[in-house]
Order: sequence, then structure tokens, then C-alpha cells
Amino acid sequence: MEILKKISLFTLPCVVFLVAIIVLFGRKRNYFSFFLDGAKAGMKSAVSLLPTMCALIVSVSMLTSSGLCDYICSLLAPFFEKIGLPSEIFPLILIRPFSGSGALAVFEQILSKYGTDSLPGICASIIMASSDTFVYVICIYFSTTKIKKTRYALPVCLFVSVLCIFLSTIVSRVLLNIL
Amino acid sequence: MIGKCFGIICIISILFAIFSGNIEGINDGIIRGASKSVTTIISMLGMMAFWQGVMAVFEKSGIISLLAKVLKPILKFVFPRAFRESKGDNEITACVSANLLGIANASTPLALSAIERLNEGRESDKATNDMIMLAVLGSSSFCLIPTTIIAIRAGLGAVVIYELIIPVWIVSGTCMLVGIFLSRIIGKICGDT
Repeated sequence: MEILKKISLFTLPCVVFLVAIIVLFGRKRNYFSFFLDGAKAGMKSAVSLLPTMCALIVSVSMLTSSGLCDYICSLLAPFFEKIGLPSEIFPLILIRPFSGSGALAVFEQILSKYGTDSLPGICASIIMASSDTFVYVICIYFSTTKIKKTRYALPVCLFVSVLCIFLSTIVSRVLLNIL
Repeated sequence: MIGKCFGIICIISILFAIFSGNIEGINDGIIRGASKSVTTIISMLGMMAFWQGVMAVFEKSGIISLLAKVLKPILKFVFPRAFRESKGDNEITACVSANLLGIANASTPLALSAIERLNEGRESDKATNDMIMLAVLGSSSFCLIPTTIIAIRAGLGAVVIYELIIPVWIVSGTCMLVGIFLSRIIGKICGDT
């Protein structure tokens, strides 16, 4: 376990170290200006998310503050307990396949409501990072061609994302035990 | 899609608040939500800018094409037909490399051009096994560094931040492998179009 902790600790610094080496010793081109261009593009895409996030976070915040979210979670809690999942992550599971920014809004709400380092908080974080908006991805990927029948694409993606939810819960329980 | 999500969530929340007599709560939700959207974006802003800068350096210094070179022999087994007919294989390799590094806004256009190449000269409206594999990989890819969740967690004052990297590798790696195997097996059973 110590070694895993070390790897986690060193991943991000290693990447930055590599970039620093390239920027310092890359003779052919001015790599720092490429960094700046990339960072500018990153800023732009974060800011362009703002209008969507504004609408979605307001709606998700209404969902929690109206009490509906708690109500649904309390209805589902016995069922979720039986299969071993924290019922607080239910809204995230529901929206994750369809909309990335919607999931981000729900994710933020789960973290601030139940705590970042609680089981639902950690579990939601791992689900957020490890799964994707598969319904949206399939729609977009096949949108430019005339392909209508995606055959087994949706069932496979659905199975993988259910697997992801269960794995995330198991892994976050283990992680909380270690820490 | 996003508009529908927004509309449905708003209406059911307001109706529920009216029936359960919690109108104060919903007022609070609207006001806090609007200002929270700005703080969320601000906490993501720095990390997103930095990470895209890092990726731009990797791209220009040829590390991404190096990754593509390493991946190509492996991808031969994942996309057998595209590599056999050498049609769309370069696009697929570029797309998967971008996906693995987590550059979603680069991988989507690459995926589109890969699928267009794979679809050249076909009349059928059914997706081929390789196209489905690309969609499965696009929606369950290994995540090297979960930048967005790191940024949001840090913004909310979390203690557990970088410790999440290994768990994310385990979960996203397993999901990707299961997705690949499942698509190959089902593809074998169903045959190709």
C-alpha cells in the first residue's frame, strides 16, 4: 500500500517535471509559448462552460434544496443498501450517461452536501473520473454518418458503466479504510 | 439534451417544493446555485488552463505521436478490420491516444473523422464492429490524471486529493479492459456488417 501511495504522490510532479525539461531544453522551438497557447485555450473552454453551468447548477441546487433529492434518496436507500451502494450518488448515476456538465453540477452538489471526504463524496469523485457520457458519445460519434443502427454499442456501454459504479464503491470503501 | 435536463429538473423541484411546503428552500437554492456556478468554474479554471498548456507542450514535442507509435501494434488486436484494410487506422490511433491522455476536446473530432473513414464506400446503416469499439473506448477510457475532479475537490477544501489517482486508474482501467473484451466477444458472436 505504501508503494501505491508513493505512485499517487509522484504522478503529477512527474508530468510537470517532464514539461519543465521540454521547456528548458527543447532547442528547436519555443515550447513555453505553446504552453501559453494551450493554457489560453483551456481558460477559454472553462469560461465558455460558465453559462451552461450557471443554468445547471441552479437547477440541481433547486433539486436538493426543495427536498426532492433527499426524498428520492430515502425511498431508494433500502434498495441501494441491499446492493451495497450509497444512495446519495443516485442523482449522479442518473445524469452521468447523458450530460457531462449536468453530471459536473450534480457532482459539485454531492461534494458540498455530504462532504468531500465522505463515502458518497469519494465514490462520486471516482465515478466522475472513470465513466463518461456514453449516450451522448454514441449520439455524437454516429451523427456525421448515416448510421442509425448502433447494434450492441449501447448495451456494452451500459454494462461497463454499471460495473464502474460498483467498482468505484468498493474501491472507495477500501480507500477510506486505508486512510 | 442539456436544455431538457434543465427544464425537467426545475419543474419537478418547484412542484415538489410547493406540495411539500418548502418554498423558502427553493428560493435559497436558486440564489445560492447561481453564485455557486461561478465559484465552481473558478476552481476549475486554473487546473484546466494549466493542464491544456501541459498537453499543448506534449503535443508539439512529439510525445503524443510517440504514444501513438507505441499504441499502434496493440490497437491492431482491438480494431482488427481497420488495421487489416489499413483504412482509418491512423485516425483511430490518434483518437485513442488523445482519449488516454484525457484531451476530450481533441479526441471527439478525431473520432468523427475515424468513423467517417471507416464508413467510406459503405451503404449499410449498421455500425461495424470497429466503429462500436471506438464508441466504447470513447466512453470508457483510462483516465491518467483526473484533472477536473482534482480541481473541484481542491476548491471545496478536500483532504483526500492526489490519493484518488490510483483508485481512478484501477476503476477506469478495469472498465476500459472489460469494455474492449466484451465488444470483441460480442462482435465475434454477432459477426460484422
